[in-house]
Amino acid sequence: MAKLTLKNLYKRYDNSGKKHKTVNNFAVNDLNLDCRDGEFVALLGPSGCGKTTTLRMIAGLEDITKGEIFIGDRLVNNLHPKDRHIGLAFEDYAMYPPLTVYENIAFNLRAKKVDKAEIDRRVREIAKLLRCEELLNMMPVKLSGGQKQRVNIARAIVRRPELLLMDEPLSHLDGKMRQAMRVEIKRLHNEIECTSVYVTHDQLEAMSLADRIAIMDLGVLQQFGTPMEVYDDPVNEFVAAFIGEPPMNILKTKVIKHEGEFFFTFEESNLRILVPRRYYNKVSDGMLVKMGVRPMDLYIGGADSKGTPERVAMFENLGDERRIGVRVGDNLMMLITEDETRYRQGDVIRLEVNGEKTHLFDIETGDRIRSGQ
Amino acid sequence: MAKIELIGVTKRFGKTTALNNVTLEVHDKEFFVLFGPAGAGKTTLLNNIAGIQIPEEGMVKIGGQIVNQVDPAERNVAMVFENYALYPHMTVYDNIASPLRSPRYKKDEGYIKDAVQRVAALMKIEMLLERLPSQLSNGQRQRVALGRALVREPNVFLMDEPLAHLDAKLRNHMRSELKEMQAAFATTSIYVTHDFMEAMSLGDRIAIINNGEIVQLGTGDEIYYMPCNEFVAQLMGDPEINLLSCRLVKGDGGYSVVWDEAPEHRMFMPANNALFDRFEKLSRADIHMGIRPQNAHYHFEPVEGAIRGTVYAFETIGNKSVLTAQIGDTHLRMIAPNGLPVNLDQDVYVTFDIDRAIFFDAGSTEYIGRFDEAAIRELAAAQAKEA
Repeated sequence: MAKLTLKNLYKRYDNSGKKHKTVNNFAVNDLNLDCRDGEFVALLGPSGCGKTTTLRMIAGLEDITKGEIFIGDRLVNNLHPKDRHIGLAFEDYAMYPPLTVYENIAFNLRAKKVDKAEIDRRVREIAKLLRCEELLNMMPVKLSGGQKQRVNIARAIVRRPELLLMDEPLSHLDGKMRQAMRVEIKRLHNEIECTSVYVTHDQLEAMSLADRIAIMDLGVLQQFGTPMEVYDDPVNEFVAAFIGEPPMNILKTKVIKHEGEFFFTFEESNLRILVPRRYYNKVSDGMLVKMGVRPMDLYIGGADSKGTPERVAMFENLGDERRIGVRVGDNLMMLITEDETRYRQGDVIRLEVNGEKTHLFDIETGDRIRSGQ
Repeated sequence: MAKIELIGVTKRFGKTTALNNVTLEVHDKEFFVLFGPAGAGKTTLLNNIAGIQIPEEGMVKIGGQIVNQVDPAERNVAMVFENYALYPHMTVYDNIASPLRSPRYKKDEGYIKDAVQRVAALMKIEMLLERLPSQLSNGQRQRVALGRALVREPNVFLMDEPLAHLDAKLRNHMRSELKEMQAAFATTSIYVTHDFMEAMSLGDRIAIINNGEIVQLGTGDEIYYMPCNEFVAQLMGDPEINLLSCRLVKGDGGYSVVWDEAPEHRMFMPANNALFDRFEKLSRADIHMGIRPQNAHYHFEPVEGAIRGTVYAFETIGNKSVLTAQIGDTHLRMIAPNGLPVNLDQDVYVTFDIDRAIFFDAGSTEYIGRFDEAAIRELAAAQAKEA
């Protein structure tokens, strides 16, 4: 077990295979990250954000353009992958097809000339941990996707790596199996407490698994925090929009001052939302800004509500919950409720906003404008 | 008027029976959803209505006319498949106009202009007519594609999983956008999906199809609250309903339920004569109790009547989370707020809203009843009246 430290890490590719929009051709741009010993960290972002490149540099499968990688206190920049004490579990579980599951798991131990009895003990121990004991004598072709991924992870951890690296290990699996494996991975980590870095583009996977999430975009780290920090306290519009399902409502608004109070107003809409007091020293009359609020933080007001009357543009009864959409210009502003009322398109509701849960973002940069100070 | 009727429709492919004696009526201008797992026969059913396939047995009627022998092109059916592909080099106007310019429907430009304007107004895309698809948002593209399908005023509008290829976030967004536009279609529509949220959201009525047969037909609320069997109950809802093996115990003038995993707990059923009558008629005491994850509750202190277990998993599903408790050999799913401070394997105490439980026959897995059935039937009747 070991902590992992990335210091001012850069990766620059030659222009030749330029697939993605990056800043100055940097696939990874000045990345700093400290993963604690035993921590589960997710690298999260859309395709092309640099998350897999980062993982491959940690694994030693990709040259480092600039910067330093430490596993524990060892600088590993110039170490061969096999000397870095890492376990790898990637999306495609390339197993040796002529070997049984047992031999696949044992393979690297045999290569390292580990004692035969010790190999047997460790293979069986890992198989028990990953609930794949009954698979040990099977051939890889006979396994389901979920079983293959179990064996793949067993193979990665049997050597007791200091660091476990996983690159979208569940993306091949279908919905239910993916959910089940997600739980298994979390429980496994809880048991072996191996420092783990997990690459995914699925924010729910990251939220469910990780102690902390590093959210990347265009090669640049946007935010590094616990799932609830990135959910409740996003640093910018990108993070706010990326985390959460259904996504946060983010709307362009113009602040106006009326009788000493500030309101958010919206183009082609009568909607007015009282600006929370805590933003009063940050806003001014006529200011253009983006306002974000999650669908769970909008409410339907009662008879005495001061909320703006709004027409229900869309009502969905989803059984487990109900969703209401209100048109605000080009945007369908979503509200989620467990209220049992069945609304109809055209019904008028009083829309109320939990002001404490609104976020402001700079209209140009998308950076969060924080209240107070 | 274009209601759609299927009477005893059977479709075979070699030895496989894809549709088995399907009888179904879709009302005029209804938005009807066919919902079921992959391979259930949904797309085959759609193809038999469109005329792409012809049934071995039974009748397909559109607007009262038998169409078994009618060429697909003559059925005036518009079909939208699993993508909304627009012509990228054509403006929105030309994309929508394209079906009317095809050799079959060839119309003069004056007619086309009126038709495109009419559809654009319905879909609220009048301001976008000169744009290219690349200049549109996803929601706008969907509107253009729907407009293109509707422009020649089909009798029937068939949609085969149009959103299935999208990632979850976009799919949810597009579904909501589609729901908003739905009233504007004013065309008998059949929508095929394997996504229960799409089925619940969009369908005036839903037909659940499995192994080529219609398993249940009703409004979303009817099917969600009164699933005809455990298979349907499991399809409708995410996270999935908990099905618990229980025993009915009669006594004190009523019934109580004892879960096999916690035999020392008796859960008393509130009195309900209709339900108790059905319990009375059962030939065996073992039943399955269906508890939706929002009707099971966790506590971190022992409370009256709570069943003890440990936390097996805690994960977010977006705007909320699922706490899974391990009780005996059962994993029990419960809804919890995001960010709940909880450790794996810690103790947890569980209670159920037994007045919201759905009871199934342990042998046949068929629906027996639920405590609040009368109220749900009332709601469903009101919905039927409205439709």
